Parts: sequence; structure tokens; C-alpha cells
Amino acid sequence: MSIKINHLTHVYNPDTIFEKIALHDINIEIEKGEFVGLIGHTGSGKSTLIQHLNGTISPTAGEIILDGENIHKDKAKLKEVRQRIGLAFQYPEHQLFEMTVYKDVAFGPTNMKLSAEEIDKRVKEALQMVGLSESVYEKSPFELSGGQKRRVAIAGVLAMNPEVLILDEPTAGLDPKGRDEILYAIQQLHKERGITIILVSHSMEDVAKLVDRLIVMEKGKVAMMGTPKEVFAHVKELEKIGLAAPQISYVLTALREKGYILPEDIYTVGEAVKALYTLLKGEAKYDS
Amino acid sequence: MEMIKAENLSYEYIKVIETEKGTKQEKILALNHVNLTIEKGSFVAVLGHNGSGKSTFAKHINALVRPTEGVLWVNGYDTQKEELLWDVRQSAGMVFQNPDNQLVATVVEEDIAFGPENMGVPSEEIRKRVDESLSAVGMLEYKEHTPSKLSGGQKQRIAIAGVLAMKPECIVFDEPTAMLDPVGRKDVMDTILRLNREEGMTIVLITHYMDEAVRAEKVFVIDDGNMVLEGTPKEVFPQVETLKSYGLDVPQVTETAYELKKMGIPIAEDILTIEEMVGAICQLKSTI
Repeated sequence: MSIKINHLTHVYNPDTIFEKIALHDINIEIEKGEFVGLIGHTGSGKSTLIQHLNGTISPTAGEIILDGENIHKDKAKLKEVRQRIGLAFQYPEHQLFEMTVYKDVAFGPTNMKLSAEEIDKRVKEALQMVGLSESVYEKSPFELSGGQKRRVAIAGVLAMNPEVLILDEPTAGLDPKGRDEILYAIQQLHKERGITIILVSHSMEDVAKLVDRLIVMEKGKVAMMGTPKEVFAHVKELEKIGLAAPQISYVLTALREKGYILPEDIYTVGEAVKALYTLLKGEAKYDS
Repeated sequence: MEMIKAENLSYEYIKVIETEKGTKQEKILALNHVNLTIEKGSFVAVLGHNGSGKSTFAKHINALVRPTEGVLWVNGYDTQKEELLWDVRQSAGMVFQNPDNQLVATVVEEDIAFGPENMGVPSEEIRKRVDESLSAVGMLEYKEHTPSKLSGGQKQRIAIAGVLAMKPECIVFDEPTAMLDPVGRKDVMDTILRLNREEGMTIVLITHYMDEAVRAEKVFVIDDGNMVLEGTPKEVFPQVETLKSYGLDVPQVTETAYELKKMGIPIAEDILTIEEMVGAICQLKSTI
């Protein structure tokens, strides 16, 4: 399904002294199967935006079009929208509550009044998708590691079979290993299931590796939009709005400023190693 | 002079796990005969994946937990001795991951005054300390603000000021930037570095961010309760494969240098910053 955001504006506490324009005339289109990164510093409007996408909050003006239909046109259909667009909030493990991992993941599909067979199938599939084996089914979610807990919570969203998965800072507070596990699971979901992914993140290194397209938010507006290569080429602008490019891209930028000829669109270690090797050894010995 | 000294420090506890089938108990050795010394006025970083024991170690410094074997001295005080509890806590303050859990009052200056008030500091002295602490973290102008209206980075700096007002000689930071955006992270890190360099405060920083750890004078790596690596950042970070096996990251520039070296480029392995990397490449280019 495609999501189209048309002239979306959201104002908190309108007509009071606390009035705050959180989103201002946002226009974004997200295609089916896309992997989109949403970045911006705290308070830039990222969270407000994603809460609109599954109808958790309503626009002050503008509309969210899902497959050609305004999601707020028929309030009775909002439940269906929320099931099609799954939202994993920040620190989703705080929402775990059941006695076992299996029961926790089954909560969503059970509420959807699916057959016992279908529920079982979905729970198992969802847990498998996030890389958790059968050995955790009967464990209490609370005895798992931070990264595992978070994967259980994401499996809970996946068990509703969403077509779009929105993740709000899914790696915040995790250690490097937990972070890599989550990101790998998300990447697999996108590759194998073709699920549309919207990833909200503070980590430029993470988004650089994963997404097809980046949307940069600043003060409730879309400040930049494009492929990671296009966006990270604007390091100075990113810094002005409190963001940064991945560390390695600064090395390449500094070297280019010194007159060395290097590609402009490098932001992962692998690419940097190749480019610097070529620079130092000359094209002839370059072997990828 | 030693600020912190651990001799054969071990900590064992019994974990009670609740499952549907009842409760089960498991013995966990969180710290296994750890020996280390942290000098007064130094800045050290403690690394390790989640569950490695690094937070357990941090809690020992504040006597929130006590060794089950071995001894830990903080500022010369044995943390095992009940009667020295307040001396220990007066010597070493602690700042945790989530600033929201550490702020108690509805006005910033009252929050800072909370600690010294409890210590029975005279009110004139408290007023002085509140102002000094707030200016030390660059938040004096927010004195009369409400903590809940501040950003994550600002709240964390208020939490740091609250600890400063108790005039400790050492502050232990347990992942102080894990929940912050890039701007908040930078502000908090700048504050930590300034406290170390200008006020001579001993800093123990627990972090998952390697760009923060490279700024320390010394790095300790804990894995499954064991102290496995210890040295300056220049000694520790070139051990790329070892660090990765402990579930840790290395800075992108260090990893790039490591890969280039593997490919036969005579580049230094102990590159930790963007500037060092740029310098090394320029030098190589001029000698080739």
C-alpha cells in the first residue's frame, strides 16, 4: 500500500497560550515496500508525524491517504488502519505484560478474534521473524535481555500482520550487539516479507546502512529528503539542525578539502576502505 | 592517589525467576575477582555489553551494592563498612541513564538543593552551591524553570548539577547519553570533559558509544563479570576483532585503519579520531 501525506499540519493546544505548531504543511509519499529513515533531533516532529500515520492522533489540517482513501474519513475503519500500519513505540518492552513470551505476542491476534490455529501460526511466524527460537516461548519476557525483550515487543506488532511497520528508535539504549540483532531482524523483514518500513533513528551510522530514502525533519517541517547519499552530502546543513553524518564521511570530506580526489558519497566503513585503498595504491591495484 | 581501588572484587547474587510453573533460582556471578585502580583526577571509561557486569561495578562505587568477596575502596573508604556509607556516597556521586528518574522537584533550583539540604548544609551555602553547580553545567539561566519542560540533554545536565551540589570528588556516569539525541549527547559529553579538565573531578563513564570512550585516559572492558582488557584508548581500540568478540563497537575510523592495514597499507593502527585519520592518510600520500 502507498501512504500519501497531504499538507499535514498539527497544532498542539490550539487557541491557548500553550499553542505549538508541531507539524507544518508536510507532504510525503511512501511507496509500498520502501525502507524509509526518519531523522531529526528531539522535538523536530518525528514522533508526532508517525502517530498520525496510524491514526493515533488526528491532523489539525491536511490528510493521510492510505491506498487512495483518507484514513480519517470513516472513524470506524481506524481500527483496521492500525492493524495494517503497525507502530512499535519507543521502549516497546515497557508494554510487555504477559506471563510468557508466547502469550504476549498472541495478545494482538487474540483481540482480532482470529481462530486459535491462525493465532498460533502468527505468533510462531512473528517470533521467528525477529530471530527468537522456540526455547523462549514459555519464558517470562522479563527474564530476557534488553534486546530480546524489544524483539518480543516488535513480534507483538508483527503478529497482527501489518503491511507497514513503523519503529520509533528501536535501538535506543541497547548495546551494540542488541542493536545489531534488532537491525538485522528489521532488514530481514524488509527483504523477505517486503514489508514497508519506516525507521525513526538518531543514529546516522544505522540509517546509512539500511534505508532507501531519508526524510530529515526540522521544526515540524521536512528539511531534506533523498537517498542517504544525497542527504549526507549536506553535512554542514545537517549539523546546523543538530544532526551529523557518519564519522567516516568527515574524514573523506576533510581529505577532499585538501585536494585529494575521492568520491563524495561515502558513509560506511566498507566503502571508505575501498576508496582510501584506491587513493593510496592507485586504480590499477584496486580490486573489489 | 587512588580514588577507587578494587581488590579481588566479586559479586554473586541469586536471581529468582518467576515462571508459570513456579519460581526458580539461579546463582549469578556478576563480577569475578576484579582488580583495578582508578587514580584521582583521571577520566576512565568502562565498556562491556549489556549484562556484562559494568553497571554492577558502578553500583559498587556508590555502595548501592557491596562485594560478596574482595574489597572495594572509594577514596580510601571500605564500602563494606556500614558506618562509612555516607563517606563513600559523599565521595562518589552517580548519574544514571534516564534523567526523568533522577529529578525530584518541580523547579530546577529546588531539585539541585535537594541533595545538600538532606546533608544538612546551611541554607546560605546551599544557595551558593546551587548557583555554582548550575553554572558548571551551563544551565544557570534555567534556575527557575520546570525540569519537565526541558530537553533530555538539559535534564541530564540538571541531574549532573544535582550531584555536583553535594561536592563529590568522583562522579560515576552510567550510560548518561543513551537516551539523548546528538545535540544532547554533545552537551553532556562537553560537560563531563570540562568537569574533569577544569575541576579535576574523577570521572568513571560507562558507555556504549565508542566516540565517547576514546576521549577517556584509560579504558576498562568487562565481559561476563571478568575484567578482560585495560589500557589507554590507543592500546585497547586497535584490538578490533577482540572488541567485536565482546559485542562492542570500534570507532569507524579505527576500523577503517584496521582494514587498510590488513590490505597491506602501512597505516598506524591506533587511529581514534577524524583528525588522526586525515593526518595519517596525508602522510602516507606524501611518502608514497
